[in-house]
Amino acid sequence: MAESPGAEKREESPILWVARPMATAARQFARSLWRPSTIVYPYERLEDPKFREKLEVKSGKPFGVGDIWDNYRGVHALNIETCISCNLCAFSCPDICIEMVTVAGGDPKHPKKCPEIDYGKCSFCGFCSDACPEGCLTMTTRYEITTPKRQEMVFSPERMYEIFRSKLPMNPIRLARPENEDQILLDPPLCIGCNACARDCPTQCITMLDIPKPEAKPGEKLPRRIWKEPVVNDSDCVRCGTCISVCPKECLFWGTRK
Amino acid sequence: MSSATLYSVSYDLVHAILAAIGSVLPYPGNVWITNPDLITGLAVLVFGAILLVATMLNTILLIWWERKLLGRFMDRRAAMHVGFAGLLQNFADGFKLFHKSTVKPREADTLGYLSGPTAYMVASLLIFGILPISSGWNSGALPLTLLLALAVFSFAPLFIFVSAWSSNNKYSLMGGMRSAAQMIAYEVPLLLAVVAVVIVAGSFDLTTIVYEQQNYWFWGPLFLALIVFVAAMLAEMERIPFDLPEAEAELVEGWNTEYGGMLFAFFMFTDYLRALIGSILVVLLFLGGWTMPSWVPAAATSFPLAGIVWLMVKTYIVFALFVWVRASLPRVRTDQLLRVGWNRMIPLALLSIFLAAVLVTVRCLPAFGCIPSLGT
Repeated sequence: MAESPGAEKREESPILWVARPMATAARQFARSLWRPSTIVYPYERLEDPKFREKLEVKSGKPFGVGDIWDNYRGVHALNIETCISCNLCAFSCPDICIEMVTVAGGDPKHPKKCPEIDYGKCSFCGFCSDACPEGCLTMTTRYEITTPKRQEMVFSPERMYEIFRSKLPMNPIRLARPENEDQILLDPPLCIGCNACARDCPTQCITMLDIPKPEAKPGEKLPRRIWKEPVVNDSDCVRCGTCISVCPKECLFWGTRK
Repeated sequence: MSSATLYSVSYDLVHAILAAIGSVLPYPGNVWITNPDLITGLAVLVFGAILLVATMLNTILLIWWERKLLGRFMDRRAAMHVGFAGLLQNFADGFKLFHKSTVKPREADTLGYLSGPTAYMVASLLIFGILPISSGWNSGALPLTLLLALAVFSFAPLFIFVSAWSSNNKYSLMGGMRSAAQMIAYEVPLLLAVVAVVIVAGSFDLTTIVYEQQNYWFWGPLFLALIVFVAAMLAEMERIPFDLPEAEAELVEGWNTEYGGMLFAFFMFTDYLRALIGSILVVLLFLGGWTMPSWVPAAATSFPLAGIVWLMVKTYIVFALFVWVRASLPRVRTDQLLRVGWNRMIPLALLSIFLAAVLVTVRCLPAFGCIPSLGT
């Protein structure tokens, strides 16, 4: 048998060709009759569902019974209270699955808008929580979002706030605020002093300062504008770019002040 | 064993209902409604409806049985969510197929394309009017039940070939060719194996064949014939070691490639219907039908409908054997299939006929006892 298995195989009886696989199948059948290898997943699972309630998280190490890593990118947790409606999460989303929807708590002129995530489209890349300047949009270890209805895949801000308040372990890497040396710069001749940037700035870090109105020379017309200019407080700015996108004259741009 | 057949039960039922209606109606109506011809006609319809429903329920249950068994053979659980233990899963699948539209290929022959599946199913359903399910079930009491059943059973290749050819698809046509070749090749050993049983039982009537097995079931002395019959039946049912006509790896879906929706459901249903018929034939010819050996306590065989229950239990066990074969063996090649059919099966069947002749001559076997007095 050991020296030439092929030669022996050719010699064996054709009855064995039928009998041997049938014996194997019968053995398999008997073994799986009591308990098959498959786990009936939603009802029974290999992991202990309690493990996700633990709060002690050691970065970079698996914890709990099911070995989910703490930097797992799962369902988002959103802290509505600290969200500044800067739109950066929706702006950075490669799948365009984030929509900013109005939540309670803003004044009627400038409603507070928080992200609503459609997990049917989300690829869990984590760019949104990377971009979040306040660290209010983070990712948790929850991965079970399967539902029988497609509408239930869309998580409203309130629903993600519930997840935040249930204090699931959060991804510590995603909590860090990203470094950004860019600043908002102004091209002064283009500005008309319309106050749009200061009005829409989520952190209220833009103030409109008066500038002197020049004397009109004879034969020359002064531009029709408000004699004010925006000044950005760089320490408060979160670099969301809202001012650039709302500027009607495109006079604001990214740059570094020399 | 009650003397009431299924037909007499349905006749009495229709008669009682019509008499009750007639007692209420005024003069011309009550005479007209208790007309014996009307009662007979309605009784035949009720008989057919009961048979049809019982057959369909059993077929669906058989599909469930195969799915569950095959799941365990593959180390998994099968359908388990819809209904208790997934019993209603096949109904859900059937409803899904009901909803689908029938898409006919543009170049297909309409008459053959549409009538093929229907004729295939009807020809297989016909057999259930003949098969004796228990002593009180046999409606016609025909002397040649077995021959008629096998003759109707062998209609199928014709309709498969009609629907395959009219699909206007090369895979369908290849599957139909293979199906015809395979079914015709294995019809011969199937019938020769049956001849061995007929020689020993001395009758073509399935009821008589079952009652001839009262001393011992035929599977022991006619083991060779049983092997040949089961193998040939596997080929006739196109189940997995012999499922060349619908070899998914080579032909897309075989002869039903172009069929979808309800017509595909007809084919699927009829495949399992034929598997049910094959299993019942094995039970009737070799495993004593609805009778049980004498050592079984009388309480287990004397409750109402005991015959049907025992026959069904045996049928499902025989079908489990077919599933076991399906789970174990790979598909054979066409040349292997035909070589086994003509070169091995037919000599084995002839040998089993010889053994049957010897058995009839000897009349008594040491381990089994004597065959009862022959029918002639």
